[in-house]
Amino acid sequence: MLLCCAATAGLAVPASAQSDTAAQVLRPVLHMFTLDVGHASLLDSYLTPIAYHGQNFRLGYEHFQATGFNPERFTRQLEVDVDYDHTHNPAGNHTMHSLMAEARWSMMHRWRDVALSGTQLMVGPMTQFRGGVIYNSNNSNNVVSAKIHWAVGVNAMAVWNTTLWGRQLSLRYEGSLPVAGAFFSPDYDEAYYEIYVGNHHGLAHFGWWGNRFDLTSYLTADFRLGGTTLRLGYRGRIETSWINHINTHIFTHALVIGIGGEFLSLSHGKKLKPAHRIISPQY
Amino acid sequence: MHHSKSPLYIIVLLAALLPSLTACHEQEEFSNDAMGNFDALWTAIDEHYTFFKYKNIDWDSVGNAYRARIAPGITSTELFDLCGDMLKELRDGHTNLISGSDVSRYWIWEQYPVNYDRRVIDENYLNFDYRNVSGIKYQILSNNFGYMYYGSFENGIGEGNLDNIFNYLASSDGLVIDVRSNGGGYLTNVETLVKRFITQKTKVGSLSHKTGPGHDDFSKPYDYYFTPDPKRIHYSKPVVVLCNRGSFSATNNFVSIMKHLPGVTIVGDTTGGGCGLPFTSELPNGWSVRFSAAVISDVDGQLTEFGVAPDVEVNITPDDKAHGRDTLLERAFQILASQRGGM
Repeated sequence: MLLCCAATAGLAVPASAQSDTAAQVLRPVLHMFTLDVGHASLLDSYLTPIAYHGQNFRLGYEHFQATGFNPERFTRQLEVDVDYDHTHNPAGNHTMHSLMAEARWSMMHRWRDVALSGTQLMVGPMTQFRGGVIYNSNNSNNVVSAKIHWAVGVNAMAVWNTTLWGRQLSLRYEGSLPVAGAFFSPDYDEAYYEIYVGNHHGLAHFGWWGNRFDLTSYLTADFRLGGTTLRLGYRGRIETSWINHINTHIFTHALVIGIGGEFLSLSHGKKLKPAHRIISPQY
Repeated sequence: MHHSKSPLYIIVLLAALLPSLTACHEQEEFSNDAMGNFDALWTAIDEHYTFFKYKNIDWDSVGNAYRARIAPGITSTELFDLCGDMLKELRDGHTNLISGSDVSRYWIWEQYPVNYDRRVIDENYLNFDYRNVSGIKYQILSNNFGYMYYGSFENGIGEGNLDNIFNYLASSDGLVIDVRSNGGGYLTNVETLVKRFITQKTKVGSLSHKTGPGHDDFSKPYDYYFTPDPKRIHYSKPVVVLCNRGSFSATNNFVSIMKHLPGVTIVGDTTGGGCGLPFTSELPNGWSVRFSAAVISDVDGQLTEFGVAPDVEVNITPDDKAHGRDTLLERAFQILASQRGGM
C-alpha cells in the first residue's frame, strides 16, 4: 500500500536527488498544506493590560522525510507557518492584530512499535524562528509590539497507523517545545523611537522557561485517499513571556484542515523496482 | 523494547515539570464597574506615568481623594468627568482620557494669549501669495527674508520637497520658521527639518524611559544625535523661530533643539511644553488613557515639560493687533536685519 501510494504520487515529479540507489532505499516526502481556523487570545501589556479575543488563522506547510542517513531510525521535518490573529477588547471598541511567521526544523529519532503495533515515537532536537508584530491601532507611541524569537528545543511525535473503513488512517500527536534561545523585547516603557535613534541596549534577552514559554500541540488524523492525504486536526499554541515587567500571553486553539501526500522524486525513465525499499517518515 | 522506554520517560518527566517552569505571569484584572475602571486608570498611571517626582505629585493621595468621591450609582458621564479631573492633577497636555463621547485634557495653552493670527500673515505679509508643500507654507518676502510656516509635525516632510524649499529660499537674507500653534506630531519630522540647519553630527538631547512600575524606575538617559546628509541642501543664514503656547509636544522638542543651534533665535512666548513620549493604555470599559511614559531632555539635560522659554519674549500688542501687524514677526525681521550686516 505504501509503495503504491508513494509511487503513484511521485511519478509526476522529474527531479531525482532523493533516491539512494546504492542502498535501494527511496524516501518519500510528506508535503502537507494546512489551514487553521480558530480562536485567539492576546495579551501584551506593552500595548494594553486587557486581554483581547478573536479569530486565529494560519497557513502552514510541512515537509517531512526520513533522513538520508539511517532512514529507518531518523526523520527530519520542516514546518513553515504564517498566522494572523484578529482580536477585539472585551468592550468591543478596539482591535488588535497579530501577524507572525514561524519556521521550525527538527530531526527526530524514531522508534517503531513502541506500545503496540503500528505505533511510532519520535523525539529529537529542533530549532525554531518566530517573528512578527502585534499592532493596536488605538495606541500612540506603543502602537506596535515586535516579536522576534529564536530557540532550540525538543520536538516529539507519537504516531499510530491504523485503518478506518478500509482506508489508511494515521493518528499523530506532535509537540514542539522550545527550551532556550534568544528573543527581542523593548524595555518596560521604552518607545521604539528611542531604539530608532540608536539605543539598542538591553533589547536581546536569553530565553528560557523562566521568562518565556512556548508550546505547540498538534493533533491530527491523516486519511489516505489514493495518492492524496487529507488532514483533520487540532492545533493549540501557548506562548507566554515575562520580561522587563512586560507580560505576554498568546493562546490559540484551532481546527486544522490540510491536503497533501507523500511524493517520490524519480529520474526520467527510472521505475520503481521490487528491490527498492520505501521508507516513509510517518508510515 | 527496553530502548523505547527511555524517550517516553523523558517526555513524561518534561510534561510533569512544565507547570512549575512556565513564564506565565498573572495579569491584574479590574472589574468593569465604576470602582474597577477607576482603579484600572489609577493603576495604569501609577505604574507608567513619568513625571511624579518632577512635578511633586503624591499620586496615592490624589487617588484616595478622588476615589472617595465615587458614589453608588455614579453615571458613566460623572465617572468620566471625575477621572478626567483626576488626570488634570498631573498638569500634562499629553494626558487624556478618551471615551466615545469626550476627551479629557489639560490644555493650559488655551488660557494664554494666542499670539498668532493666520489671516494677518496670509493677508498682510504673504499677500495670499505663497508656496505650499509637505504642509509647509513658504515665501521670500519683500524685505528678502524667507518665511515658512509649518502647522503640524504630523505632516510628513519629503526630503526632496525640503530641497526644493531651501533651494528656493537660498537667496534670502534670513529665515523665519513659524511653528506657532503647531500642536506637534512625529519626532521623525523634527529630525528631518532640524538636519537642514546643522552641518555636523549634533547632540540634540537625551531619552529616558520607565524600566518598571516604581515611580523611580528610570533608564539611564541616552544621548541622541542628528547627523546631516551632506547631499541635501542646508540653510546656513540667520534663523528666527516663532513660537507660542500652542507650540506643543514635537514642536516643543523642535524649539528646544533649535534654541541650542548657532545662528538661531527663538522669539515669541514660552512653548506649551510636553517633553514626555505618550503611551496609551485602556480600561475595562473601553476608555483609553494616554499619558507620558518616557521623557526627552534637552541638550543640557533639562526637562521642558512646562515649555521652552524664548530668547526674546514678545507678545502681540493690542495696537499691532488692531492694525493687522504681527508683533512677533516684526521683531523677527528686526533681529534678522540686525544680523544681516554680519553675514
